[in-house]
Amino acid sequence: MPPPLLSVEHLDVVYDGTITALSDVSLTVEPGQVVAVLGSNGAGKTSLLRAVSRSLQPYGGTVTGGAVRFAGQDLAGTDAADVVRRGLVQVPEGRRIFRDLTVAENLRAGGYTVRDARARAQARDRVFDLFPILAERRDQPGGLLSGGQQQMLAMARALMVSPQLLLLDEPSLGLAPLLVDQIGEIVTEINKQGTAVLLIEQNAVMGLRVADAAYVLETGRVTAAGTSAELSASDEVRERYLGVAAPVVETETVRGEPAIATAQPPQQLRVEGLTVRFGGITALSEVSFTVEPGTVHALIGPNGAGKSTLVNVLGGAYRATEGSVHYGDAELTALRSDKVAGLGVARTFQNISLALEDTVEDNLLVGRHRLMHRGLLPGALKLPGARREERAHRETVAGIAELLGIAHLLRTPVHTLAYGDRKRVEMGRALAARPSLLLLDEPVAGMTHGESQDMADTIRQVRRDLGLSIVLVEHDMPFVMGLAEQVTVLDFGKKIAEGTPAQVQRDPEVLRAYLGASAAGDAAA
Amino acid sequence: MSDLPKKLAGLALLLVALALPLVLTDFWLQTGLFVMATAIGAVGLTLLVGVAGQLSLGHAAFAAIGAYVYAWTSGETTGSVAGLGLPPVVGLVLGVGAAALVGAAFSPVAGRLRGIYLGLATLGLVFVVRHLVVNLEDWTGGFVGRSVQSFALGGFSFSNRDPDYLAVAGVEFEGLHRLWYLFLALAVAAVWLAANLRGSRTGRAWANVRDSETAAAAMGIGVARAKAAAFVVSSGYAGLTGAMLALAYGRVAPDVFSLTASIDFLVMIVLGGLGSVAGAVVGAVFVTSLPLVLAQYSSSLPFLAAPGSGGLEASTASRIVYGLAIIAVLVFVRGGLAGLVRRRLTRSAAPSAARTPVDDGQPAAVSPPRSKETTR
Amino acid sequence: MSYFLEQVLNGLSYGLVLSLIAAGFAIVFTSTGVLNFAHGSIVLLGAYLVAVLHEGIGFWPAVLVGLAGAALVGVSINAVLVRNLADKGPDTAAILMLGVDIVLLTELTRRIGNQVLTLGAPWGASVVRLGDISLPTGRVLAAGVTVVAFAGLWYLFSRTDLGVGMRAAAADGPTASLMGIRLSRTAATGWALAGVLAAVAGVFLTSFPAPGVAPTVALSALAAIPAWVLGGFDSVPGAVVGGLVIGLTSALVTGYEAQLEPFLGTGFGEVAPYVVMIVVLLVRPSGLLGSKEAVRV
Repeated sequence: MPPPLLSVEHLDVVYDGTITALSDVSLTVEPGQVVAVLGSNGAGKTSLLRAVSRSLQPYGGTVTGGAVRFAGQDLAGTDAADVVRRGLVQVPEGRRIFRDLTVAENLRAGGYTVRDARARAQARDRVFDLFPILAERRDQPGGLLSGGQQQMLAMARALMVSPQLLLLDEPSLGLAPLLVDQIGEIVTEINKQGTAVLLIEQNAVMGLRVADAAYVLETGRVTAAGTSAELSASDEVRERYLGVAAPVVETETVRGEPAIATAQPPQQLRVEGLTVRFGGITALSEVSFTVEPGTVHALIGPNGAGKSTLVNVLGGAYRATEGSVHYGDAELTALRSDKVAGLGVARTFQNISLALEDTVEDNLLVGRHRLMHRGLLPGALKLPGARREERAHRETVAGIAELLGIAHLLRTPVHTLAYGDRKRVEMGRALAARPSLLLLDEPVAGMTHGESQDMADTIRQVRRDLGLSIVLVEHDMPFVMGLAEQVTVLDFGKKIAEGTPAQVQRDPEVLRAYLGASAAGDAAA
Repeated sequence: MSDLPKKLAGLALLLVALALPLVLTDFWLQTGLFVMATAIGAVGLTLLVGVAGQLSLGHAAFAAIGAYVYAWTSGETTGSVAGLGLPPVVGLVLGVGAAALVGAAFSPVAGRLRGIYLGLATLGLVFVVRHLVVNLEDWTGGFVGRSVQSFALGGFSFSNRDPDYLAVAGVEFEGLHRLWYLFLALAVAAVWLAANLRGSRTGRAWANVRDSETAAAAMGIGVARAKAAAFVVSSGYAGLTGAMLALAYGRVAPDVFSLTASIDFLVMIVLGGLGSVAGAVVGAVFVTSLPLVLAQYSSSLPFLAAPGSGGLEASTASRIVYGLAIIAVLVFVRGGLAGLVRRRLTRSAAPSAARTPVDDGQPAAVSPPRSKETTR
Repeated sequence: MSYFLEQVLNGLSYGLVLSLIAAGFAIVFTSTGVLNFAHGSIVLLGAYLVAVLHEGIGFWPAVLVGLAGAALVGVSINAVLVRNLADKGPDTAAILMLGVDIVLLTELTRRIGNQVLTLGAPWGASVVRLGDISLPTGRVLAAGVTVVAFAGLWYLFSRTDLGVGMRAAAADGPTASLMGIRLSRTAATGWALAGVLAAVAGVFLTSFPAPGVAPTVALSALAAIPAWVLGGFDSVPGAVVGGLVIGLTSALVTGYEAQLEPFLGTGFGEVAPYVVMIVVLLVRPSGLLGSKEAVRV
C-alpha cells in the first residue's frame, strides 16, 4: 500500500519557546482527497499549516516533537522553498497577495519555481480557465481587486506550480455567503482536476460540505475526527461549530454600588452611520448601534466581518471615513487614541500587545499612566510625591492582579507567561486604567473551553464590581450568549441584526452569515 | 532577583572610583575624565535608543552645542572670540539647557519619525551644527576652535592655573584630580537620574511606545510627546557630555564632534546592551579608552609599529579592534554585555529554569521573545 | 546663462551618480531591511580595486574585477554577518554595518595611505564641449551609464522572474517563501546588485574632475543618504529623483557660493543635502515616492 500523500504524526509546535500551539496532532491526507481541519480562532489551525509548509520559523515557532511526511518522505530539515518544489503549496490566511504587483506579476511570483516555459504556460491557461476574472484584470495591481477576487488570485498563485497538495488557510475569511459558496465550488473543481486539498476552516459548514474527511482542532489538540458525514452528525460538532442550539444563559442584572469606584459613571456610547474604507476596501459600512451605560454589549460576526476595525475606531486607532461615535458628549472620532483613553475608554487587543520584557506589575502600571500625574523631573529625582504616587498605584495594581488571579505573577516578566495568563494581564492593564467603558477584542480567542468559562466569570465579576460598560467583540457565539445583554451582528462590514441573545440567535440573517447561504436555506426549510 | 547585589556592586565601584586618583598617573586620570564624560552621553542615548526605541545619529551635534555654549558663556572676550564671562557653573547649566532646547526644537521631527528613520534625519543635524560652528567664528573660533574657561565653584578652582595647595594621603591634588571628582559627581548623578527615570511612569511610557505605539496610545500615553520628551532628555545628557569634554580637553574644536563621535556613542550603548544604563557605562569605558590606551602603549606592544613607519599603527589597530568588537558582540552576544551578565545571573539564580528545548533539524533560532504579537 | 546651464548639467550628472548609490541603499533596505552604513566603503572598495589593478590587467578588466569584488563583499557581509546577528532587527543591523564600515574603511585607508591613486580611466581629463558649455567627459559618460543601469534595473524588476521574485520577497517575505522563493537568494541578489551599482558609482566619483581614489570618497558617498531618504526608503525610482534633487542642490549651492555666502556661510554645499532632507522628512515622513507604512493592529 502506497504511503498517504501527507501524514502528520504526533506533532508538537511551540512559539517563542513558551507557548504551546499544537500538541500530539496526527492526521493524514490521501491522494485526491479533500481534508478539512475545523476549529475556532486560536485553535492552532494556522500553526498546523505552517508546520506542514515549513514556514513556522519567521513567526518564532518551532516543531518540538513528531514528524510531517509528504509522499512518504520526512520533511524535517527542509525549508519552505524545498517543500514547494516537492509539490506542496500553502495559500496563507488573509490571502496575502502582493498588492503592488499586478495580477500577472503575482502569478509569475507564484510560478517562480517552474523553470519549464511550457509547463508554466499550461498552468497559467488552467488558472485563467478556472478564474476568468483574473485574465480580464491581469494588468491591474492586486491591491485593487475585491476581497473575493483577491482570494481567487491567492489560490491561482498557488496553482501556478501545479501542486499535488494544496493547503488552504481560511479561504472563506471575510467573504459574503455567496462568495463562500463559490470558493467552495472552486475547491471542489480544483480537487476534481487531481489536486489533494487540506482545508483549514472556521466556517464548519463550508468545510464539511467540500471535504471527504475532517478533523476538529481545539486549543492545539485533535478532539474529533472522521468522515464529513460522521462529523456533521456528531452532536458536539453541531453544537459548537454549526451554531445549532447554543444554550442561552440569562444574565442576572446586577444593580448597586460598584466595589471599586470607576473614574466617572459610564456614559452612553452611540455609533452612528459609521463607514470605514481602506484603499478600495470597505471594512465597515453605515453601522449604527447604541451601548447603554453599565451594560455588556457584544459585537459578533464571522472572521473578517469588520469587528476589529470597529473596535479600532472606537479606541481611536483608526479614523472613520464617515459617520460618528459619541461617548456621552465627547465625539470619539475626532480624538486621538490617547485622548480617547483619557475619557475612560480602555481596551485589549486581539493579538496581545504587552511589553514582553517587563514584569506583570510594570505592565499593569502602564494602565495607570493616565491616572498618575508625576512627570519626568519628579520621577527622575525620586521626589517624595512621586514615590508616594508610585507606591499607591502599585498597591492598586496588586489589587487588580488579585481580582484576576495573577497576583502571584506580579514580579514575573511577561514573556515567560502562558497564553491565557498573558490575556489576563492585558485585561488587567485595561482595568488598571479605571475605565468606564471597556473594549474587549476577542478575549477568549485561543483559550480552552474551561479557560474561556473562567474568563466569562471574570468579565461578569468585573462588570458587577466595577459597574462599567463593556463592548465585547467575539466570533464565538455561545460565549457571548451567556454574557451580553445586547448583541449586534456584523457581516461583511454591515450590521445585519441586533437584539437580545435569544432574538439574534433565531434571526435567519445571522444563520446565513454563520452557516452560509445553503445552510440557511436548509435551516429555513 | 533582589536589588541588593546590584546596589552593593555599585557602592564598591563608587569607592574604587573615589580612591583611584590616589594611585593613577596623569595619563590614566585624563583617560578617566574622557570615559566619565562620554559615559554620560551614552547613558542619555540609551534612554532614547534602548528605552524609547528611537535611533539618533545626532548625538555629537548636541554635545557640540553643550560644549560651545559652555565655552562661549563662561569664557572671556579676547581678540579673536567673544565670551560672556559668566560663572562656569552657570555656563554648564546653560550648555545643558541649550542642547535640550535645540532637542526640543527638533522634536516635531523626533515625534513623527520612528527608529531608523529618525536616525537618518538626525544624521543631518551633525552636518548642520558643524556648518554653524565653522561659520560662527566670532563665538566658536571657527576651524581652530577656542580655548575653554576652566571650571570653578565658589572660588575653588578645578585647574592647575590656580594652585592653592591641596593634598590627600600625600598625593597632591592637581587640576586633573579635582576634575576627576567633579566628573565623578556628575556621572553618578546622571546615572542615578537615568535609572530612576527608567523605572518611573515616564520610563514605562517610553518602553511601551517602543514596543507598540498603538497599545501605548490606547493606554492614554501621548506617543509623539513621549518620543519628543525622550529626545529632549537625551539631548540634555549629550550637552553635558559636550561641556565636560570641553573641560577635559581645555579646548573646543569642530573635529571633536564629528559624525564619528555620534557613531561612537551608538556603539557604546550597543556593546553595553540597549536600554541598560550600566551597560552604557561599560560601553563608554571600552570605546573611549581603547584608542587612548593602544596609542599610549603602542611602543610596548610588539605587533604595533611607530607612526609613519609603514607598519600597523596604533590608531589603525585600535580602529580595527573597535570595528571587530562591534561585529563580534552583535553576532555572538544577545542583548550586549548587559544581556550576557543578566543571563549569567538568571542562570545561577534558577538553574532549572527550563526554556523549552528545540528542535527537529531546523536551524534553532528561538530568538528572544520580542515579537510583539503572540500568534497561535 | 551658460554658467547656470553648466552648473545644472553638472548637478544632474553628479545627481545620477548619487542615485546609483542611493538605489543601492534602497535595494539592500527592501531586500533585507538593513540600513547599509558600509555602503560608502563598498563604493571606495570598487574604485580602489580598479586603481590598483588597472596597470596590471588594463582598465576595463580592472573595472570588471572592481564590480565583482564589490558585489562579492556585499554578498558575504550579508551571508556571514547580517544573517547571523544575535538580535535581529533593523537597529542592530544598522549598527553592525557601522562596525563593518569601520573595519573596511580603516583597512582601505591604511592601504591607500596618503597617496591619491589614479584610476587610469581612458577618458582621462578630457572635456566635451557643447557651444559655450563644457562638461568633463567622465560626467557625460556617467550620465549615460547611469541611464543604462537604471533601464537594466527596470527590466530586471518588471520583466524577469528573479526581479519579480525580489519584489514579492520585499513586499512580503514569509508569503513569498510560500511560493518557493528563497529569501536568502533574493537577499544575496540585492546585495550583489547594490555592490555593482556602488562600484560603478565609485569609478565615476574618482575619475576626473575628481582627483583620484582617496578615503574621502567613502564620505562623499554619504551624500547619497539624503538622496535615498528623500526619494523614499523603499523606492528605486525615488532614489533617482532624490539623487537628481540632491545633485542639483549641491551643484547650484556650490556654484553660486560667492553670492550665497553672506547668508549661508562658507561650505554650505556640503550641508545643503541634509537640510533638504530634514525639510522633506518634516513634510513627508515617508519620502517623496516611498510607500507609507500601514500599521495593522
